[in-house]
Amino acid sequence: MAPLDLQPTGSSPKVCFDPFTGILELSGDSYPENSFDFYTPVLSWLKEHLRETEALQVHFNIVYMNSSSIKCVLDILDLMEEAEAAGKKILINWYYDRENPRALDLAEEFAEDVGVPFHIIPVEG
Amino acid sequence: MAMHELIRLKEEFTEKGIMICFNGPFSHSIIEEIGNAVRRRLEGEEVRKDAIMDVFAVYIEQTQNVKNYLAGKSFPVKNFNSAIIIIARMGGKYAISSGNVIEKTDTAALVDRLERIQRLDREGLKRLYKEEIRHEVPPGGTGAGVGLIEIARRASEKLSYVIDEIDETYNFFSLTAVI
Repeated sequence: MAPLDLQPTGSSPKVCFDPFTGILELSGDSYPENSFDFYTPVLSWLKEHLRETEALQVHFNIVYMNSSSIKCVLDILDLMEEAEAAGKKILINWYYDRENPRALDLAEEFAEDVGVPFHIIPVEG
Repeated sequence: MAMHELIRLKEEFTEKGIMICFNGPFSHSIIEEIGNAVRRRLEGEEVRKDAIMDVFAVYIEQTQNVKNYLAGKSFPVKNFNSAIIIIARMGGKYAISSGNVIEKTDTAALVDRLERIQRLDREGLKRLYKEEIRHEVPPGGTGAGVGLIEIARRASEKLSYVIDEIDETYNFFSLTAVI
């Protein structure tokens, strides 16, 4: 299984999987020039990884996301929902800046649409 | 530009509360640089985080919409591929405006879309957004197709837009969102 380690740029997030902890982390801003080009390899990696693993945690620490990134993240959450339906242990932690109500709105809208354990956790901004 | 024109331009910008105005071809790096400059300036002025995020989000959706539209067109007149973006502050509110050339044949669909969005309240906008963000993107598509809904959801007033005729083939489309 190839490692997943994308370093952040001004408009794309850090996307990194730690094979020791089993945690996939996405952090930073997400409004790349073409969100589909950016997230397609992430989705392919995730599909393959979910076939091989029994448990996955995803930690999101996203400040801002444009609408096409939101669409791609919904696809990520759908894959996790399928994996959970197939009996795998899936957990999502969504960290947000407690001083930024918009960051909470974003988290809550995702939580409305996903059927996997989804924890919204405030952090100091 | 003569010096006396520059002072008049500066006075006009100040009077209209214009913080940033860019006129030229949009590239991704220009969108990113201007956006970050505005964000840093507002952070420096201790504007509330949710307002900064709304201004930034509307700016990004507007500029990426325009850039994607123009990239799909490559108009024969070079100047038509460039656009204008303005971020202004009036009292405690922010206005984000963009202007670009559109093909006349695209105008009716755009106006229909805007009018449909204008008729919706907050709940209606959320429902439409959640429905459309799940739509399949056509091959080669560059966005989720919900930029205008996202802009309307962030705006504190109805969007305003103007269509000006350029010639028999082209119009100029101006859009303003107020936060």
